This record gives sequence, structure tokens and C-alpha cells, in this order.
Amino acid sequence: MENSSKEEYKIQSFDLETQKLLKTALKDPGSVDLEKVSNVIVDQSLEDQIFSREAGRICYTIVQAEAKQTNGNVFRRNLLNRLQQAFKAREETRKRSTQEWVCLVSFICNIFDYLKVNNMPMMALVQPVYDCLFRLAQSDALQNEEEVDCLVLQLHRIGDQLEKMNMQLMDELFSLLRDGFLLQEDLSSMGRLLLLEILEFRAGGWSLSETAQKYYYSEVTD
Amino acid sequence: MLTYTQQFVRWLFHFYSKQCLSIKNTDTKTIANLKKTGASRWTHCRKRGADGNLRKCHEVEEPGKSSQSSRRQESFTTPESEGPVSRVKNWGDEVEAEEMRSNVRRDMHRYRRRILEADFPQRDRKISSGSSDSRDSRDSKESPAKGDIETDENTLIRRQKQINYGKNTLAYDRYIKEVPKHMRQPGVHPKTPNKFKKYSRRSWDQQIKLWRVKLHAWDPPAEEGSDLQQIEEIDLGEIMDFELDVECSADTESQCPTSSGASLSLAEAFKWSLSLVV
Repeated sequence: MENSSKEEYKIQSFDLETQKLLKTALKDPGSVDLEKVSNVIVDQSLEDQIFSREAGRICYTIVQAEAKQTNGNVFRRNLLNRLQQAFKAREETRKRSTQEWVCLVSFICNIFDYLKVNNMPMMALVQPVYDCLFRLAQSDALQNEEEVDCLVLQLHRIGDQLEKMNMQLMDELFSLLRDGFLLQEDLSSMGRLLLLEILEFRAGGWSLSETAQKYYYSEVTD
Repeated sequence: MLTYTQQFVRWLFHFYSKQCLSIKNTDTKTIANLKKTGASRWTHCRKRGADGNLRKCHEVEEPGKSSQSSRRQESFTTPESEGPVSRVKNWGDEVEAEEMRSNVRRDMHRYRRRILEADFPQRDRKISSGSSDSRDSRDSKESPAKGDIETDENTLIRRQKQINYGKNTLAYDRYIKEVPKHMRQPGVHPKTPNKFKKYSRRSWDQQIKLWRVKLHAWDPPAEEGSDLQQIEEIDLGEIMDFELDVECSADTESQCPTSSGASLSLAEAFKWSLSLVV
């Protein structure tokens, strides 16, 4: 029981005391300081690559639990406002540390993916998410494999949802990606491969054909 | 020499009349914001501006200061009107507003379906009791004609907020636990106003007022020491209009209990004067 929730929410990287706090927040949100809980989660997500991609799930569960138990949304409100602060400071973050920047993007996108409002994605996050992805599609970012990797990961996970929310922006984004792929000379070959794959992925309606799957993902035998 | 109770009641009237006059004509959204900031912040609004036109009241926030209500950062510009404005929005607030809007839309769909069902009643079919504010579509006398429901989203959202304030009380919690829906008697038990029916603004506000007063009957019992606390916690923002000649019909609660001459506990005196005031 203990291990399965660790696994499910990927909270192994927290110290034991914090893990306990998180577990209590899941079961009995009214009994903990939810503002603190959200801060703990945000702080970790902005540093820890693995957690930044998975934090959405635990956040969603806590939001639901709080709504059900106390009809409140202290947790969600604080989470979103912290997220907004981090988003505002993204350019400085990117300058300071690519890893932190990449964590930020993954985290925002993961929250967008999991924190739905009446089963709809949060409209307030659509533009910020696009802003992040557009930033990643700039030429200075495309040079950097870490950033391209982050970009394509997000598009795999939430591309179709984002497109539904705003088709035009997605078209513009992909225009940049196409240009980058074709015209930018200082791309690494891995970077180029990642871009080609995502171009095909979207062209295929957000899924990869079998042959493409084989091309990109099967082991190459020498 | 007045008894403590009588002195207290006098003071209460005095206090109310001072405060209420200053919030007369404040609209509900500002009231909602006032609620957030706590009863200590009062906007002193004049009803009309210099040009003679009716003014909307603003919540005045000091620039740069972080108030109790908003947890905005330094970089936010002071909004010019109530709540977050389009220029710099606070994601927490935005998402809450989104949620309220989509809840209201969902409620509207459900209500429309229920009205249609009412038009084609199926006798042996029980309409399930999900939680909903608008369950009276079955009553054909009151049921609005198909096109005649309130559809303006802003109105519905405002009304829903008012309903939420009422439902977010201990009294309401205790009430719904004590009296299941099928046991409710019209007139005796408070009924949530139906936000989908067409009403004038005044009429709606009055219904909400009456509903909330009725709900007070289920307030948790006061303890000796906490009476004064109860007084401070009155949310004066709920009071929309203060009229000295009371319009509302005399519920049993609002009969003055001092007629018997017996001394009142502070809590009883308090409840009575509250019902008179609203």
C-alpha cells in the first residue's frame, strides 16, 4: 500500500517527512496546511526532472480531495499562483539553468494535462503553455537538445488538447518547427530527428503510423 | 436603568445603521469582495457621480500594499475595478471564475432537461435527487414557459455566488443533515431560490435575504463565552438594503421575545435583532 502510492505519485524523491505530509494531504486535506503542501510540490517540481513530469497527478488528487472534504480550493489556488510567478520569471530561469527551465515547462504542461475543470482543460493555462512552447521553438532553443527533447515530449502528451483549444497557435508553432528543421544549420542530428518525428506525429493526427513507429523507435541492428 | 440586553440591542441598532448606510447600493460583487477582505473594509460610495449617472462602487485597494484578500505579487498593477482585471490576471482567480462559469452552464443544461421532463411527465419516474438549486420545475403553476428562463451568464454567476455564500455556512450544513429534501414543508423550511427563474434584481436579492434569515434557525448553538465572537462574525456584507420598516413577513423567529418580560440570553437577543434588521 505504502509503495504503490509512492510509485503512483512518484514521490520517492521527497524526504520521508514530506512524503508523510503528502500522503496525509491526499487522505485528509482539511488537516494539513495546504498552502505549504502546494509550495512543497512546486519547489520540488521546479528542480526534479522526473517529478516535474508527474506532479500533475498528485495535484489533481489533492484538489479533488479538498473540494470534496471542505469545498475549498486553497491548494489549487496557491498552486496556480506559484506557477504563475514561476512562469513570469521564466526567461531569467532559462538563462540561469536549462534544467530548471525545462522542469518548469514540464510542470506547467503536466498541470495543464491533469488539472481539469469540469473535465475541461483550464483555459487560463492555454496561452502560457503556448508561450513556453513557442520559446522552445526559437532558434537558440532548438540548438539545445535538452530543450528540443522537452518540447517534443510536451507535444506528445498534450499536443492534441492544445490544438483543440487553439488551432491557429498550433499551426503557427508547427510552422516554426518546420522552418527550424529545414533551415536551421546548427541543429544536432538528434535534434533534427526529434523534430522530424514530431512533425510526422502531428501530421498523422497526433499518432504515429506503424512504419514511422518502427523507424523512430525500434532498435537499429547493425 | 437599561438592562445589559437592552443596552446591547440599542448599540447593535446603532452599529448596523452606521454601517449599512455606508454600503447601501453596493452591488453584490463588491460585497463578495468585501466578504473576502473582512468586515473592516468599507467602501464609501456615493450612489451617483457628479454627472448624475449611477455609479458602480469600487473596491478601493491601496496600490502596492498586499491586502489580506489578494495574494498578488509586487509586480501586479492595482486593478481599477473590483477583482482581477484583464490586464494582469491571477491564475487562481481566473480558474475559479472558469469553474463557476462552467458549473452554471452545466446547471442550465440540467435544468432545461428537467423542464422538458416536466412537460412530459412520466408518472412512475422519480426525478433523482442530485444536489441542485432548481428542482421545482415539476410545479406547473410556477414552471416557466420554455423560453422564459434566466440565461444571462453574468446574472446566473452572480446569483450562484450568493447561493454559495448561503450554502457555505454551518447553518446550512446542519439544516440539510436534519431535514432531508422529501421532508421539507413549504413555508416552514427554507428553500434555495431558483436562479433560473426570471426575477428583478430587487426581488432576487430579497429572496436571498429571506432565505438566509430562515437558515439562521439552524445556526450552531452558542456557548456562553462565544457570544461576543458571534457578533463580530456577522457578515454585514450580506445585508443589501437596510430599511427600518421591516418588509419581511414576521416569521415566528422575528417576534420580539422580550414581550414576556423575561431576560434574554445575549444570543437570543442577538438573533432577534438580526432578523429585524434584515
